[in-house]
Amino acid sequence: MHVLLAEDDPLVANGIATGLRLHGLTLDHVDTASHADAALATSHFDVCILDLGLPDEDGMKLLRRWRDQGRNIPVLILTARDALNHRVDGLLGGGDDYLIKPFDLDELLARLHVLTRRIAGRSKDSMAHGELTFCASTGEVCLAGRPITLARRELSLLRALLQNPRAILTTEQLCDSVYGYEQNVESNAINVHIYHLRRKLGNNIVETVRGLGYRLGPAGKLEGL
Amino acid sequence: MSLRLRLLLIIGVSLTVLWAAVAGWMFMDARQSLRDALDNRLAASARMVAGLVAQFPEPQDISASGNTPLDVVARDGVACEVSLVRSNVMIQTLARTAGSPNLTRVDPGFGTHEYGNKRWRTYVLRQGNIQIATADSIDAREALLKELLLSAGVPFVVALFGSLLLVWFGVTHGLAPLERIRDLLASRRPGDDSSLPEVKAPVELRPLLQTIEQLLERVQAAIVRERRFTDSAAHELRTPLTGVKTHIQVAKLASQRPEEAATLEASLVKADQGVLQLQNILQRLLELARLEGQPVEMEISDPVDAVRAAVEALQPIFGELLSRVSVHGAEESRPVRVAYPLLLAAIQNLIDNAMRYAPANTPIFVLIAPQSAGTMHISIVDEGTNLNAEERRQAVNRFWRGNSKIPGSGLGLSIVDAIARRHGGTFELLKRNDGGLEARLVLCIAVEAEQS
Repeated sequence: MHVLLAEDDPLVANGIATGLRLHGLTLDHVDTASHADAALATSHFDVCILDLGLPDEDGMKLLRRWRDQGRNIPVLILTARDALNHRVDGLLGGGDDYLIKPFDLDELLARLHVLTRRIAGRSKDSMAHGELTFCASTGEVCLAGRPITLARRELSLLRALLQNPRAILTTEQLCDSVYGYEQNVESNAINVHIYHLRRKLGNNIVETVRGLGYRLGPAGKLEGL
Repeated sequence: MSLRLRLLLIIGVSLTVLWAAVAGWMFMDARQSLRDALDNRLAASARMVAGLVAQFPEPQDISASGNTPLDVVARDGVACEVSLVRSNVMIQTLARTAGSPNLTRVDPGFGTHEYGNKRWRTYVLRQGNIQIATADSIDAREALLKELLLSAGVPFVVALFGSLLLVWFGVTHGLAPLERIRDLLASRRPGDDSSLPEVKAPVELRPLLQTIEQLLERVQAAIVRERRFTDSAAHELRTPLTGVKTHIQVAKLASQRPEEAATLEASLVKADQGVLQLQNILQRLLELARLEGQPVEMEISDPVDAVRAAVEALQPIFGELLSRVSVHGAEESRPVRVAYPLLLAAIQNLIDNAMRYAPANTPIFVLIAPQSAGTMHISIVDEGTNLNAEERRQAVNRFWRGNSKIPGSGLGLSIVDAIARRHGGTFELLKRNDGGLEARLVLCIAVEAEQS
C-alpha cells in the first residue's frame, strides 16, 4: 500500500513513517499542503493520512479542494481537533475516516486497510486469487493453503497487483507502490521483484503486457512451481 | 406575564376605571338635573295654580262650602292641593287631586314627606291666605331615574367592551414586530453564525435589532476565539504526546525484530525529544499559572543585567547569537519595577523568538530607551519577521504559533505579555517601516531606586 502522509510535525511524521514501514507499507511524507498537492498530482497513492493543522493551508480546505477537483483518494484525517463539530465537518467535508491524536499505531494501520478494502469493494481483509490468498493487514501469503514467505518489496508489489486485478500497471506505477519517493532505485528493480514473485508463486501470477506494463495473471492453478 | 397580557391589563383596567368614573359623574349630574327639573315642575305647577286661584273671588263662608274638599283628577302624576289659610291653626282645603295625600300642614317651600307608606316630594306656596301645595311621588321619580340609567348604561357597557376588543386587536397588531423578532431569535440554532435576516420593524425597534445583531457578532467572535484557542491548545499538547506514543509503539515493534536495532534506538531518541517538548510546554504553562495566581512582588531590576544574562543563557542554543544580537542604549538604562527572574524570562523569550523566526544571519537589535512618561522601552527588533496586524494581535494568545514548522510551544509571548500586564506595563508587536518586527516591552521605571 502506497501511503501519502501530510503532517507538519517532524516527530509525529517520523513515528508514523517508521511504524508503517515496519508493517510493510510504502509511505511518502510531505509537511505542507502545497507539497501534498504536488505529490498527489505526480504520483499514485492508495490512501492519504491528512493532518488538519498544516502550516500553509488548513487541511480541511485542502481536502475540499481535492474533492472539488475530483480526486477520490481515500483520506484518513489525523488530527488533534477532537470536538464533535470538527469530526462531523471532517467526515462531511470529504474525509473517509477520522482519527484523533494521540492514536494507536495498530488502529491507524487497521483503519488504512479498511479504507483501501472499502475502495476495492471488498468486505474481507484477505484477497483470493485462484489458489493464492493474501491477508492485507498481516501480509500473510498462502498458496494452496501453504504459507509462502515474501520480502517486503515483493509483498508491496503483490498487494498492488491484487488491489487492481484487471488494470495494466506501468513500471512507474509499480515503482510508486513499491518504493514511493525513494531515490536510487535500480532501473530493473521491478523486474527483479517480478522474477522473484513468479519464482515463489508461479509464472502466471504476473502477466507482462508488452509495451504497456504488467497485470495480475489469470486466476486458476498457478503453474511453473 | 406576557407583554401582551400586561398591556391588555394596563390599558383595559385604565379604560374601564376612566369610563366608569366619567359615567358615574354623568349619572350623578343627570340625576341632579332631573330632580331639579321635577322640583321646578312642582314649583311651576304651584305658581300656575296660584295664578288661576287668584282670578276667582275669595270664598267668604267656610261653612257654606262644607268640610269636603273638591276632588280634581290628576293627569300628569302631580298631586295638587289648594287650601284657604284662616290662621296658623285653621287651614281649610278647597280642592285636592284624587288620591293625593293631605298636604295642608306641610311647611312652605320644598320638602320630602311620607304619607301612607309612600314618600312624596312636596312644594308649598302661600299667596295671601291661599296655600297651594304640589307633590310628586318619590317612587315615580326613582323609576324615571332607573329608566334613565338603563337607557344610558347599556350603550356605555357595550361601548366599553367594544373598546376592550379594539385594544386587544391593537395591542396584538402593535406587538407583531416584536413577535416576529422573538420567533426569529427562538428559531436560531445554537452556534448559528449567520447574521439576522431582514425583519420589518418600526423605527423604535431598529436600535434594539442593531444591538441584538452587534451582541450576536460579539458572541460569535468570542466563540471563534475560544474555538481557535482550544484547537491550538489541543494541537500543541497532543502533538508531542502523539510523537512520544507513536515512537514508543515503533520501538516496541522494532524490539521484536533483531534486524531493526537501529530503528529501536532512533525511536527511543525521538520519544525522548517528544518528552522534552512536553516538559517545555508544561514548564511554560506553570510559569503562566504562577504569574496569574501569585501577588506581584515589587522588586527592582536592571534591564541591562537581564539582557546580558538572557544572551548568555541562549548562547548554547544559538551558536551565532553573539554575532547577531547587539544591545543599544545600555548607558541610558534605568531600573524597572519588575522582579529580576521575570524580567530575565521576558527578555529571554523575546530574543529566543527573534532568533527562531527572523531569517538566518540577519541582525537582531535590543534597544533600551527610557521615556519621559516614566516608562522604559525594551525593544527586540529584527529585520525579517513579517506578521500582519491580525497576526500581531493574536501572537500574544496562548498556543498561537506563527510557523508550526519552527519548534516552540506558542506560549513565549503569552508569558511576556502576562509579565508586562502584571507589573503595570504593556507588551506589543509593532511593524517596522523598513521591514521586520519590533517586540516592545514597556515597563515602569522604579523612581525610588533612582532617588536613592
